[in-house]
Amino acid sequence: MTLTASVTPPTKADRELLAFANSAEFAARDLYAVAASLAVFNDDERAMLVGFHDHHRAAGQSLAGIVGALATNVRSDAVYNAFRGRLQGTDKNAVLDALRELENTLASTHLSLVGELEGSEGAALVASILNIEARQSVALAILTGRGLDDALTNSAVALSPVVGS
Amino acid sequence: MSRFSRRDVLRLGGVSAAGILLAACGKQAGVEESKNVKSIGVMPETEGLSNVEVTDIVLLRTAASLEFNAIDTYDAAIGLGVFTGAFAAAGDIAKRLRDDHAGHANAINGLITELGGAPFTCGNPRLNEIYITPALALITDADNENPALDVVVLAHALENLAAQTYQGVVTLLSDRDLRRAAMGIGQDEARHAAVLAQALNPGIAGVLPSVDADTDKPNVAAVPGAFGPLTPISVTVGPVNADGTRNSLILETPSLNSLAYDDVACA
Repeated sequence: MTLTASVTPPTKADRELLAFANSAEFAARDLYAVAASLAVFNDDERAMLVGFHDHHRAAGQSLAGIVGALATNVRSDAVYNAFRGRLQGTDKNAVLDALRELENTLASTHLSLVGELEGSEGAALVASILNIEARQSVALAILTGRGLDDALTNSAVALSPVVGS
Repeated sequence: MSRFSRRDVLRLGGVSAAGILLAACGKQAGVEESKNVKSIGVMPETEGLSNVEVTDIVLLRTAASLEFNAIDTYDAAIGLGVFTGAFAAAGDIAKRLRDDHAGHANAINGLITELGGAPFTCGNPRLNEIYITPALALITDADNENPALDVVVLAHALENLAAQTYQGVVTLLSDRDLRRAAMGIGQDEARHAAVLAQALNPGIAGVLPSVDADTDKPNVAAVPGAFGPLTPISVTVGPVNADGTRNSLILETPSLNSLAYDDVACA
């Protein structure tokens, strides 16, 4: 019996892509912190938002672990600013919709990364994060009363990685 | 006086015993010789495994087989006629998810064909044998009080199994484009699992992990943690046994004994 090759570590180019993912995850973490602080949410909803915040933080930290010294460990302001303006007001569903779009955008971005990363170690980590963000998107769709298509379909465009020199 | 000392007697005795043992192990007239390890009686000849290789094609054929497992299970569930009343919506979800799996199977088999492999167009025989057939037997048992709920429980488990399988093969596939294609479907399976989790444990309380206060067992969660799990999946279905328990099956992602190798064919 011949088995497939063993897990391969990230290349230098992989590390730059994973560093981008690291900053995108920390942007999501900070966006959930903003959402959880809004008065419009009750305790149960806030607990869920804090849970998703913690998931993004864990994802960012794990990516930092695999990236090593290249990890900035700071949020991507581009990602943060793209969604921050929608996390306000008293329309609960509008805020949750923005977060669903954030989850779908990150899921599309991670899917794109899985196709670009050479080392399977980084690809596997990103794949495990992607599956959770897809689930978080579904939860947000259902909680806002959206239909099955909205829960199951991801039409968000992937972010373009901004990699260091 | 004896000519042998006690030590001589013991020494002769040992030599004799060894001789008898060696004779017993030797070839005997009229007795068919086994080709296996020397033993009492005749064992059947061993059949060696074919020299199989775990290639990208084999991994994709295995993924396709899981898609057909899911299609067959949803078809069986819909055929039971249990999706009525409170479970009518679950029936609509089941049809939608079955159609998604048919699309996935076509996509995966398209990739296999592009790679020069033979498409796999039936459920994984090993998973059928050890998971799905026993689970459906328990669900359709005449004493089972809630087959509709159990069907959703099984479907949820199979969606989790599929999501885990695609996530797991990312480290095994050698081609980056194939990894991406696999995870494109993998995230669909994760979404399916989340939808069914919400059907089983609806509302905000069913989103994150929690524990049943009465049983101390984990509740179904749409989002089970910060990272996609690759752990065995427990499924409890079927009627209540005499001792008050119900049967559980432990589902695991396909491994070396359940991959759809090139020489595995649909019956």
